[in-house]
Amino acid sequence: MTVTTSLPSARRCLAPAAGVLAVVGLVVGLTAAGSPDVTRARVERSLTPSFTRLYVDQQRVLGHEVPAASVAARSACDRGGPQVADVGAGADWICLVDFTDQTGVHQQGKFELQVHANACYTAAGPAKLLGGFTIPDTRGRDVTNPLSAFDVCFDPDA
Amino acid sequence: MSTDAARGIRPGPGTRRAAAAPRRAGTWAAYRWELVKLAALVRTRATLATVLVLPPLVVLLLRGQRAPADTLFGRHVHDSGFAVPLLLLGFAAQYVFPLLTSVVAGDVFAGEDQHGTWKTLLTRSVSRSQVFWAKTGAAVTFAAAALVLLTASSTVASVLLVGHQPLTGLSGQSIPAPHAAVLVVGAWASTAFPLLGFTALAILLSVRTRNPALGVVGPVVLGLLMGLAGSLGGTGWLRRALLSTPLEAWHGLFTATPFAGPLVQGAVVSLLWTAACLAAAHRSLCRRDITGG
Amino acid sequence: MTNSLAVRAEGLTKRYGPLTAVDGISVQVGEGEVYGILGPNGAGKTTFLRMLFGLVRPDAGVLEVFGRTWSRDGTATLDGVSGFIESPRFYPYLSGRRNLQVLAGLDGGVPAGRVAEVLDVVDLTGREDEKVAGYSFGMRQRLGVAASLLREPRLLVLDEPANGLDPAGIRDMRALVGRLAASGLTVLLSSHDMDEVEQICDNVTIMKQGSVAYHGGIADLRRQAPPQAHLLTTSDDDAAAALAAGRPQLSVTASQGRLAVRGTQSAVDFYVSTIVRSGIAVRSLTLGEAPLEALFFLLTESGPESGPESWPRPGLDPAASVAGGRA
Repeated sequence: MTVTTSLPSARRCLAPAAGVLAVVGLVVGLTAAGSPDVTRARVERSLTPSFTRLYVDQQRVLGHEVPAASVAARSACDRGGPQVADVGAGADWICLVDFTDQTGVHQQGKFELQVHANACYTAAGPAKLLGGFTIPDTRGRDVTNPLSAFDVCFDPDA
Repeated sequence: MSTDAARGIRPGPGTRRAAAAPRRAGTWAAYRWELVKLAALVRTRATLATVLVLPPLVVLLLRGQRAPADTLFGRHVHDSGFAVPLLLLGFAAQYVFPLLTSVVAGDVFAGEDQHGTWKTLLTRSVSRSQVFWAKTGAAVTFAAAALVLLTASSTVASVLLVGHQPLTGLSGQSIPAPHAAVLVVGAWASTAFPLLGFTALAILLSVRTRNPALGVVGPVVLGLLMGLAGSLGGTGWLRRALLSTPLEAWHGLFTATPFAGPLVQGAVVSLLWTAACLAAAHRSLCRRDITGG
Repeated sequence: MTNSLAVRAEGLTKRYGPLTAVDGISVQVGEGEVYGILGPNGAGKTTFLRMLFGLVRPDAGVLEVFGRTWSRDGTATLDGVSGFIESPRFYPYLSGRRNLQVLAGLDGGVPAGRVAEVLDVVDLTGREDEKVAGYSFGMRQRLGVAASLLREPRLLVLDEPANGLDPAGIRDMRALVGRLAASGLTVLLSSHDMDEVEQICDNVTIMKQGSVAYHGGIADLRRQAPPQAHLLTTSDDDAAAALAAGRPQLSVTASQGRLAVRGTQSAVDFYVSTIVRSGIAVRSLTLGEAPLEALFFLLTESGPESGPESWPRPGLDPAASVAGGRA
């Protein structure tokens, strides 16, 4: 039988090893590049108009027609206290929303946000101020309170 | 053996054709025959049937339940018939899409290895390249059919069973019925790109591993891993390069000011994945020595 | 016989890592011939056929089919070439007829009705709508031959077509191959059975461990085969062997516990009567292997080159040589 020399084993391993290295390098490079998708500005800018609309909806359910402009909402968000930077996904975002309620009184609601990496978050509203899971509508039936928990998504590139 | 065998060895007078340069079958003919083979497989018909039947069952199941709050639009499933298809879309994006295509694409090449039929297939007048593209086309056709059926089944079943009430969007806004319907179909349609990517990934695994089980399960596992990696924070651009991310790009359709950035990026990334996987798979098939079946 | 060659291989080599499956072989099959490729398992016959079909890429050498090569002409090389490698495999979830329809569709240019025709040729009419998963081995072999006949082949390549069949199946398969050969096709048949090749083929290449041990006509091979031996067992083999020493036209060698006696019939007769007269009893006297089979084993036995010099051949021209080896 004729025996021919095969590739030395070191050379055989070269191509797949180079491939693995390339992939690892690509992953590391991509992870390091780019800016965070979730920033305080984006969260605040998406929360304010969403809250306004849902507040108007809630008041309509309760029987009051409130013009959106009169709500005059402003949001200030903070993630996890002064020590933690206000970027990135997490369940420790707290937003304080200042607004004018339907009687003209200035109110501040504290919302707890669970922000996900896909630029969406679930906001849970203050039950004492804005009602619990259900609210009674004009006919006395219990309907879902639009402000008790709601989902908002924002543009990660805005 | 038949005693008239001598006559049958050459084509009979009724079937004699004009002597000419041999006509070779093209990729299109090979593609049609791949579809014939796919249609004969139980798994193909079973998947399409499941995709048609499951969404109405889910809608009926949800009727008596508390609205699920952990998926987008879950909390609105009792309020609008347009929420359920989006709930299903969110769920499918995490768990179902890779399997939906890999059940066929992961087997379309490895099945030939399993049955030992490469030597039967490749000794015809079709080149390996033509066979590759025919099979790829068949797998993509199946994925498209499954997607269309799933979309139609989810949307029609929900609108019929729950109604066409306005949908609460992702900026608290109210989306009226006709517009909501268009957006729901658009959201489902946007998953065609990552679905194509997962099809190509399944094809690559099917060609390289020659194992139908790995071809089917591999993309599911990879899809889950990518989804996990995407849900971690702080991954910079890595998230945008994953094939699982475009499956969620449809969120931008449902905000008060719709944004298309993730949709466009997702389409580009999916096409890059598709090109890379198909190129690698094509090369692998054309260079392979068929030593077994 | 025409001048054009159906198959021409020169210096064809294929290595799998450290193992050389085919080592620089050269084969020439003329159009219209019935050509046999013979060799024990592992000799490289199937690898050669896989290279012919483009399933495996050669490492070196030239392989032309009707003047076309894979590197230059691609799939056009298989125009007019049909056949199967090892036992033919089909899609078990499709019926026999469906399988043939798929293959005919991929062949292109197969007229309608041809599928029914070839099913009739191989006698599968009536079973063609059952799924292939339920076919017996013999039915699948026949379906493989049917698939090979779908387009008018000019070259039919059959890899051990009788392998695994029962004796009735073998007989039918050989008859079919014979009829196919008689109809003018070029047939390239690979086998490990010398008997089968001898019956049908004109020319033969005998392969051994990837190399060619012989190529040429069957008739030549017969002429060079060692004469058939008589196998003799006696009550005293040593004494019997000693009695044969020095006799012309007689060769007695020990072989597997018996004596192999070669020579003309009269010499053998005289020898047997001599040993009986000297008091040695004859326990059995039978004919040994057919000459060509014996030749086949001699050519393909592993170990040091077993060439014609080692054959016991009393009274024949020792200078008679065998054409073959590396081209």
